[in-house]
Amino acid sequence: MNIYSIPYIIGGAISLFLGSFVAMKNRTSATNRIFFLLCSLFSIWLLSYAIAYSTSSDKIAMICAGITCTAVIFVGTVLYHFIVNFLGLERERIILYFVYLITFILGYFFITTDYFLAGVYKYFWGYFSKAGKFHPYYLVFQTLVLVRAYYLVYITLKNKKAELSSLKQIQIKYFLAAAVLLLPSMIDYVPKYGVEIYPFGFVFILFFLSVIAYAIVRHQLMEIEIIIKKTLVFAGLLASVFAMLLLPTFIIQEYLTRGATFGGRVLGLAISGIIIILAMRKIENFLINVTDRYLFQKKYDYKELLKTFTSEVLTVLDLDKLVRLTVDKLSDIIKITSCGVLLLDKEKNQYELTASQGIDNRNIVLGMDNTLATFLNRTRAYLSVKHQGKDSRLPARIIEDMNKLKLELAIPLIVHDEMIGLLTLGKKKSDEDYTQDDMDILLPLSRTLAIAISNAEMFEELGKTQAEAAQQEKMAVIGTLSAGINHEICNPLGIARGQCEAFLLNIKDGLYKNKSAEELLEKAQKIMEKVMHETDRATAITKRLSSFAKPSRGVISNDININNEIDEVLALVGYELKLDKINIVKEIDRDLPFISADKKQLQEVFFNLIRNAAQAIEEKGKITIRAEEKDDKINIEIEDTGHGISEDKIGQIFNPFYTTKDPGKGMGLGLFIVRQVVERNRGRISARSRVNGGTTFILEFPVAKRLEGVKG
Amino acid sequence: MKKPTIVAIDDEIDFIDMLEDYFKLRGYEINVASKAAQGIELINNKKPDIVILDLKMPGINGEEFLGLLKSKQPKTKVVFVSAFDDAGKTKARILNAGAYAYMDKPLNSLKELEKVINKAFKG
Repeated sequence: MNIYSIPYIIGGAISLFLGSFVAMKNRTSATNRIFFLLCSLFSIWLLSYAIAYSTSSDKIAMICAGITCTAVIFVGTVLYHFIVNFLGLERERIILYFVYLITFILGYFFITTDYFLAGVYKYFWGYFSKAGKFHPYYLVFQTLVLVRAYYLVYITLKNKKAELSSLKQIQIKYFLAAAVLLLPSMIDYVPKYGVEIYPFGFVFILFFLSVIAYAIVRHQLMEIEIIIKKTLVFAGLLASVFAMLLLPTFIIQEYLTRGATFGGRVLGLAISGIIIILAMRKIENFLINVTDRYLFQKKYDYKELLKTFTSEVLTVLDLDKLVRLTVDKLSDIIKITSCGVLLLDKEKNQYELTASQGIDNRNIVLGMDNTLATFLNRTRAYLSVKHQGKDSRLPARIIEDMNKLKLELAIPLIVHDEMIGLLTLGKKKSDEDYTQDDMDILLPLSRTLAIAISNAEMFEELGKTQAEAAQQEKMAVIGTLSAGINHEICNPLGIARGQCEAFLLNIKDGLYKNKSAEELLEKAQKIMEKVMHETDRATAITKRLSSFAKPSRGVISNDININNEIDEVLALVGYELKLDKINIVKEIDRDLPFISADKKQLQEVFFNLIRNAAQAIEEKGKITIRAEEKDDKINIEIEDTGHGISEDKIGQIFNPFYTTKDPGKGMGLGLFIVRQVVERNRGRISARSRVNGGTTFILEFPVAKRLEGVKG
Repeated sequence: MKKPTIVAIDDEIDFIDMLEDYFKLRGYEINVASKAAQGIELINNKKPDIVILDLKMPGINGEEFLGLLKSKQPKTKVVFVSAFDDAGKTKARILNAGAYAYMDKPLNSLKELEKVINKAFKG
């Protein structure tokens, strides 16, 4: 074996494997079979030369040269055939048959005469065929065939562009590129004319095959992605084995033993064998990795996509955040130019763009009568711009909508047989198409996404219902507060009015007759001060009440002081409690750190708990409110001396509609809502109780993160 | 013309201060208390003709107090001045139980209260 024949063996092997697999994948497809033929010709060409380079017999070299040349004659013609078939050009067939006829005739003359193949040269790399006197005419023929073939591709791309699906267009472009890369392999003709240049044309055959393989993988050229992958790994492995088998043998032959001694060969083979056994597995893994990384790179992305979605995105319960994350992560991982999620607004009965990236118009709305929406709703299948070939042209309006959304792909989001939205994906930044592999991951992902969106919507709905119930409960409670509130508002107003009235009456009744003007002024001043004081009192309580009655806007602040909020609530309920002979004891640490919470919601919690405590107390009693910091948390206890709750019931008190109160005193939503609100503010609530020993509610809120770097 | 002696009990100090000013200036003998116990002592000592009473205040239930007073000092007239409002139910019950009058807080006018007191004293 000759070192110069090794690249030829590798090229031939790869070519043969690629051709065989393509053919096996779809035996009935003429295109695939022609491709197999083409690959076989490459193999014959390369492998016969490999033998010619290695042999020392003129006779064998001559036979090999004959085989090679015949194969090469057919390469051009079969390539032309492949193009005709791939493009489906029926009218070109007559010319094709004619070209085949000439090729066969040429083949006959190549083998039987020396007009074309005159013999063999002996070059430094081995035997190589020698051109006959008519060989240049053959070259002209070969060139004409190739020009015709490439012209057909070019003209089809140019004239029939509108008829071709864009996927087909891209496939043709790749094929054209591959075919052009093949042309420099004609350099192999040069040594035939006596010039001693190593025929490295096989490199271009490998280029051609690589591009075709890439197109097959990325653009569904022949739908045999996985086979290609295995072929490449296998071919690479084969090449490595050859190299390892030959290299030590070659080195030993050339440099150590100075000639082909039997012992040298055995030694070389033994070393090669050991290396192969040791390195085989590693090389295989390496090749799989390399193939994965460079040819099947998206496989990595998919793993990441799946991981990100299951762990970071689909678990989000906040609807807005969920769709925003979906769009961000999809754009980021698949690397697409635009992405959007449209969600169904059930009230308006239309799909609205809820989150998007790379879409200029953010206010896109698709009504139920919109063609794109109707189409997806009817078919319940994804819609891809690329996959719609000329057989099923999309209505212009769908194309228009798709352009507006900059989408290549629209996937309906379906839950319980209802299309709750659309996921739209734009072009990939790499300009590649969505493959079946993409769809295999995107479709299940969309189904899961639909469920997650539906869950988030329901959670949002539940939150709204809870907030409404909380508000109703609050208003009902304010009604029962009226005695205290009336006292707090009417008293100061009555006093203010009375002060003024008394002054005026005193003057009218002549009671200030003997007072000097200065004394009267002083009197009037005092009265006005009192009036102001009283109106301030009334205003303060009114403000508190109206602020408390307003629904929470859900604003979380980081500077909530527990002590202040408890005082605020006590200002509202305190008088009522005093009337009920309930003593309030506050044991709250000074300088408690802040917590993060919605101020109003926190007040609602305290309000409900204090009022519950008061209602639990029948005659006299005491409510103790404690708060302290412990392990970066603030523990708050609200303890009453009421009748307590029995052990079998304490577990139920946070359930909705559970109540121990008399009818009309509350819907029983109080504690249920309290717990929801506490948890929404990242707190926890629990209770302990003893019959006749009172009940204690325990709240726990994390301390708000202190602002770092802020002095003072 | 003789004027009635008055005891006013209300937890709202500003309110009883105002009453004290008003009535004293007009020659009434008025004593005020902001705590229930203090008020009861005043009533026992002064034996007033008129008691002005808040219906709801810490440590005292106006309704019970009325019953007690009626049994001990039947001549004393009780005028309730209160912000408590339950659609007139308590008012009707209290008047039934023997209260002379029930006036809502805030008072429409002090003059009116004075008239009611004088009427109660005469009648």
